[in-house]
This record gives sequence, structure tokens and C-alpha cells, in this order.
Amino acid sequence: MNSSIVSMKKISYEYRRVDDDGHELEAIHALDQVDLDVKTGDFITILGHNGSGKSTLAKHINALLFPTEGTVLVDGYDTAEEKNLLTIRQCAGMIFQNPDNQIIGTVVEEDVGFGPENMGVPTEEIWERVDESLKTVEMNEYRKASPQKLSGGQKQRVSIAGVLAMHPKCIIMDEPTAMLDPQGRREVIRAARALNSVEKITIILITHYMEEAIYSDRIFVMDRGKIVMQGTPKEIFSAPDELNNYHMTLPMATELSYRLKEKGMNLSEGILSRKELVKELTAKIKDAGTVQELVAKADYPSDDRRKEETEVILEAKNLTFEYEAKTAMCVKAIDDLSVAIRAGEFLGIVGHTGSGKTTLIQLLDALIKPSSGTVLLNGEDVFNKKYDRKKLRRSVGIVFQYPEYQLFETTVLKDVCFGPKNLGLSEKEAEEAAKEALKEVGISEEYYEVSPFEISGGQKRRVAIAGVLAMNPSVLILDEPTAGLDPKGREEILGLLKKLNHSGMTVLLVSHSMDDVARYAKRILVLDKGNIKYDGNVREVFTHADELEQIGLAVPEVTYIMRDLKKSGMNVSTDILNLDEAVNEIGRVLC
Amino acid sequence: MLKDITLGQYYQADSVLHRLDPRVKLVGTLIYMVSLFIFNNIICYLAAGIFLVIVIAISKVPVKFMLRGMKSIFFLMLFTVLYNMFLGKGTVIAEFGIFALTFEGIYNAICMFFRLLFLIIGSSILTLTTTPSQLTDGLESLFKPLSLFRVPVHEMAMMMSIALRFIPILMEETDKIMKAQLARGADFENKNPFKRLGCLIPLLVPLFVSAFRRAGDLALAMEARCYHGGNGRTRMKVMRLSARDFVAMGILLAYLGGIIFLGITLKELLPALLGYFVNGFTLVPLGSESI
Repeated sequence: MNSSIVSMKKISYEYRRVDDDGHELEAIHALDQVDLDVKTGDFITILGHNGSGKSTLAKHINALLFPTEGTVLVDGYDTAEEKNLLTIRQCAGMIFQNPDNQIIGTVVEEDVGFGPENMGVPTEEIWERVDESLKTVEMNEYRKASPQKLSGGQKQRVSIAGVLAMHPKCIIMDEPTAMLDPQGRREVIRAARALNSVEKITIILITHYMEEAIYSDRIFVMDRGKIVMQGTPKEIFSAPDELNNYHMTLPMATELSYRLKEKGMNLSEGILSRKELVKELTAKIKDAGTVQELVAKADYPSDDRRKEETEVILEAKNLTFEYEAKTAMCVKAIDDLSVAIRAGEFLGIVGHTGSGKTTLIQLLDALIKPSSGTVLLNGEDVFNKKYDRKKLRRSVGIVFQYPEYQLFETTVLKDVCFGPKNLGLSEKEAEEAAKEALKEVGISEEYYEVSPFEISGGQKRRVAIAGVLAMNPSVLILDEPTAGLDPKGREEILGLLKKLNHSGMTVLLVSHSMDDVARYAKRILVLDKGNIKYDGNVREVFTHADELEQIGLAVPEVTYIMRDLKKSGMNVSTDILNLDEAVNEIGRVLC
Repeated sequence: MLKDITLGQYYQADSVLHRLDPRVKLVGTLIYMVSLFIFNNIICYLAAGIFLVIVIAISKVPVKFMLRGMKSIFFLMLFTVLYNMFLGKGTVIAEFGIFALTFEGIYNAICMFFRLLFLIIGSSILTLTTTPSQLTDGLESLFKPLSLFRVPVHEMAMMMSIALRFIPILMEETDKIMKAQLARGADFENKNPFKRLGCLIPLLVPLFVSAFRRAGDLALAMEARCYHGGNGRTRMKVMRLSARDFVAMGILLAYLGGIIFLGITLKELLPALLGYFVNGFTLVPLGSESI
């Protein structure tokens, strides 16, 4: 049983960057003397920041890349030998990050059959395998569907079925959840865990989400092409300082347990899940014998400090937007929605996929025309025929999801200049605005003349944001600006937004992450079926946990912990939004 | 705007035609096209028209849906008809400057109109009742013999099906990039055509970059799933000819035979009949210039 499915011995992988004339610029060591041993049947997780070499490592297991030094054995086969290639790829299947770019078939079942077809499996058996794999990932009812019509989580499950149909012993998942919403993420992780426990398939999961790592048998942390930490989740998450060095964070429950320990509470090491933490804490109460009487309810720093109402800057009035209007397939993406946004606000917009968030922000910048209703900027109707749209574009900037995909110029500086120039600024003025914006997002001067296609993913994201900031908007709208970034990248972007908001910019943040919204937004807008379900103060909105769950949303992780504590008999307040508050509140009850 | 094109679209329904082997449908379409071109007389077109109406009825595709796709080629048809009507040679009925309306012209125009109409409807029935993947499979199988001459038939079919899969994705992407650049103040509606051309760069560069990135990703994903070309590959959906396909083939051949028979017998008879009609109801052949 305990044989190795993957064994890497001192493998290195380097590639050379060359300039246009073929001169070598630098040799990049994507992998540096890596030793990795994965036991059959294990669930292992590889963590590491963007560019740490995780994906390169994964591609070695699937024989998509070959080490420049060292050997990789998969199920005993050496990947360096050409004749082993197909055996290895059959044995170790791979799931990639982008759900769209790995589905080959135009119908779900055809895609699942693609692998077995390539392997030369007889027709009859292909059908059996397709049936069986689709059932395993619970996608059987969609077998005749076009992949186009599926959600991200469903697409990833189809990809998993496609790999399963090849009867692999091991599946490597390279950030399979990075482009998904929370629900899709749960679907994929649940499928992965089921495959491991029921089908006994070895799973190698690469991820940025610490919460996804806690169920694994072993965790490997990578940094600069090396494996720098390895151990069980308990061991790994018991070393927060070391993790922090590699730009990783802790799962929320673990983080909270550390903070409580700092306060002098006696908790055991390596608490990983919400369940464990709640169990420990409630045990504490029982030890103490009695639940302490409630002292006066603790004071939180008031969220409404800036109570003085500023003037309304952007306003939607009875907005309705229909897709395929006047046909039988008419869908109301936005349905009679009205909202007023005040200058200087930090507004979080949340909603399930398909709730109309993206449509709403496109309407706010007049990128699409509403079926009825209108948008007012400083009281002026932006859909009026006489209205100069440039005025709107100058005031309202939008950073779309994956904004780096809109970069096109030859240099970073020129790309950032694109917006200001479109607004009619002179070359010089535009350049000044661009430089200022780049400074704001933390892109240093040495990158100004570099092609935007040659910088790292996180830098591209920031350059793209600078491209919008350079237009000096008074309202900045961002659609999932942290999607696909590692924890440090996420912090940087969110920190930037906070800073911008403090300097007076109105910020609208569309996000799937309730934790991010709870931490940064003051007011929150919950969308459901094209209309506003809740609109109000963050703390107030998150008290509707059950209702939010019903529309496919959630509350922040800390809030969940507090709710669980309350359910198991601890007399804590549940309208808690961040770690500091949670530490205080638990401390108040237990100390 | 691109959504309005029904030409080449698939219409989901359950009919005998939908269930036919794609190869039979491909060959059938070819036979039908041939039948439209071998003879140029109105009786043959009448027969072809009746055949087409029956096929449409069997296909269960709404006629309205079919005709919606015809809008885009309306002008082409109008032009062909007018050209034939006024620029033909023959018995002049009326003259407008260099344009002469001739009897033969009208006859030709009518023939041409139906030929084009049947041609387009006939081939759209193929795509309306066959999924793109069936179509590629059918083409691959029909052209298989060419691989003996080192024509990469499998690879071409694979490229075609991947293209079909990615067209909607890339259209969506275009829309996204366009909106993103619009939000950055780009002007896609500039009146000056040169400036408008310049505006395409912020759209096309990201689109190409994205298409290449997707292509790279897809190639990797295909390799990871053991794709190594057409050699040693089995098929999940094997095309097998059933009784229904042989019957269909028989009907098609009978139809072709019928058209040929009609064409040959009418070749002599029809000009005579027409001549009778034109020359004041006396049975005089129209002369050597046949129609």
C-alpha cells in the first residue's frame, strides 16, 4: 500500500530567456533540486505563491515537461523515456486552472470520451467509462449539454470526469478552483476528496486557498523552485512565521486560535478547522463550570463614524436590463433596480454568479444600454443623447475581471497612457498621469519600458489597474480584482483600494469573498436575481446569514465561527466581522 | 448581429433526418446539388422543389427558422434574377436603354432563382439537422481515403471541431475586451475609417494574445489526455449505416434517376412546347440556341 506513486529525485528545470537576437538574457531555475515523494492513495497539497514553481512541478508529473537534471518516476516509470509517455499520462491525469481551455468536446459526453479515445479503448468500453465517470462527479444529467452552458464548477467537474475515464491512479490538479466562485470551489474540492476517499485515487492539489489544504495528508510548500516546508497540515500550520516568509497565510480558524493564544488562552497546537476550534473553546466553558454572566455588550469601533452624508455621486434609477429582449428567451439580468452611491463610499457588491453584478457595473459605466431606467452621474442622465460619454468615462473607471487580458501596448508606460490619451490629454500630460498611477500601484520605474507581456501575473494585474487609475476617476469599480492571486497579491490589491478610498475615491468592489468585503467595505449591496436583496451597513447585512445562504452566498468565516460557538452554548455575539473583534468577544466571554 | 445568421446553425429536433448518418446526408446534399445543375428546365426544378418540400416536412425544422437565414443572401438572389432578366439574349419584350427584357431572360431568371433557392435551402437542411461534431466526423470518414495520399484528414477534422468549440468563447472574449477598452475611453464608433482602423489595435492585440494563450493551454490539456494524433485512436461514436440509411440512399438515387429521366425526355419536348407558346401557338422549334 505504501509504495510511491510519484518519486522525484533531485530534479531541476531551467529555461533560458533570450532577446530578439537570440542572446541569452538569463537562465531561470523554475525548479531547483526538488525531492518529492508521494505515497499511493495520499491526498497531498502543494502551496506556494505565484511563480514559486508549483505548476512547473505539476507538469513534470504528467510528463508535459522533462527535468533538465534528475529523474521523475511515476508509478515506477521514468518520464524521460519516450516509450513511457502515454502510460504515464494515463496513470497521472491532470486538471488545469482555466475551465474553458481544457474542454475539447462540443458536448459533455464527447469530451469525457476524449481521453479513452486517444488511448484506443474499444468503443463499448468508452461508453461504460463515460457513464461511470460522469456519475462519479455527479454530472450525468448534463451529459448531452454543451460545455458553454455550464457553470465554472460544473466545467471543472466535467474535466475531472474526462481524466477519470482514463482510469488514472493519480490526479494532479493545478489550481482547479482559482477561477471559480465559492460554490464552484466547494463542488470541486468535494469531488476531489470523494475521489481520494472512495476511489482511492492519489490527489495532488495545487492551490492558493489555505482552507482547501487542511484536509490533506501532507502539505508541501514551495518557494523559488524549491520545496521549503513539508509535513502534515498540523505541522505546517503550526509554523505561522515561516509560512509568512513564503507569502502564505493561515486558515481562518488557525489564525484565530493563535490570536487567542497570544491573549493568554490555553489552546492546543494546530487547530485547523472551524469544528476543532469550536470544540476546544466550548470545552473550555465546560471546564470553567459556569458560563459567565454577560457584561455589557462590548463596544466595537463604530462603522458609522463617517455618518455625515456626502452627496450622491452615481445613481441608478429603476434600471432594467433584458437579454434577448422581445423574444421567448428574454432574461431580466437587472430588474427595476435603484441605488444611490455617495461620494467617498467603499461599497461592496456581492451576489451569486448570474445575479446581475457584472451587468450592473456595465450599466453604471454606460457600456450597455438599459431596457428602461437610467443612470445619473452627479445628477446628469448619462443615457441622454446629448450627454458626452467621455465625461462619464473620465469619472467612472472600471477594472474588469482579469484586467491583464486587456493589455496591448508595446511598453507598460504606453499601455497606461492609453486611457488618459483617449480622454484628450497631451502626450506629456498622459505620461505624467501614467507615471503617477504606476507609482500608486507599486510598479517601479525599471518596468516602464518593459513589454506588459513580459512581467509577472501580479504585476500585469497592477499595471492594468494603473491603466484605469491614470484616468483619475472619482468612482472606481472593480470586478473580482483579486481573482487568481496568491494571498500576498490579494493583500496588496485590497490594501491599494483602501488607500485610494482614504484619499477620497469612491470604490465599488464586486467580490465573491465575504471576508474581503467584511474587512474593507462600509456598505454592502447584496444582489439576487437582478435586484437588491439587502443594502446597508456591513454588520447589519451579515446578520442575515441564513437568508444569504439561501441565495448561494455566505457570511465571513469568522462570523461562522461565532455562530457555531453560539450554537454550542457559548454566549457570544454573532455580529462579528473580523479577527480583532472575534478575539475581543471570545476573550470577553472566556476570561 | 452575428446571432441572426441561421445559415450553418443546428436546430435541435427529433426527426428521421436528424438521425440519419451524417455521411448519407453529406452525400445526399451533394446529389441534390448535382441534380440542380445537370438540367436547366423548369419541370426538373418543379420536381426538385417537390422533393425539397417533402424533406423539409420530414426534418421538423420550422420553415420560418429556415427562411430567417435567407435574409442575408436576399440581395445576391435579387441581383442574379435582375441580371438574367435584363441582360439575356433572345426575344425582346421591352427595352430600357441597354437593358432588354427578353422572354428567355425571364425564363432563365426563374430557373436561376429556384436553382439558388433550392441550393441554399438544401444545404442548410444538412447543417440544421446535423450537429457540427457529427458533420466533422462525417467529413473525416468520407475523406478518409485521401489520407492514403498523405492528406492530414484527421488533423483537419480535429482543427475544424476545435474551431467550432472556440468560436463562441472568442466572441464572448471580444465583447469583454471591447467593453474594457470602451471603459478606458476607446472610441469604436469614430466616423473616420482610418481612426476606426486604429481603434482595432487595442481590441485585436489582446484578442490574439488570448487566442494564442488558449491554444497553448488546450494543446497542453490535449497532450495530458494522451492525444497523439489519429494513430491508434478509437471512436466513442462510431458511425454505422443502418437500414434507414440504406433506404434514404435508395430514395436519393431514385430521385436522381428521376431527374435525369425527366431532363432527357424533356430536353427535346420542352423547347418545342415553349416555341409553341412564344410564336403564337404554332409548333415551330425555337431554333438552335437552346435554353
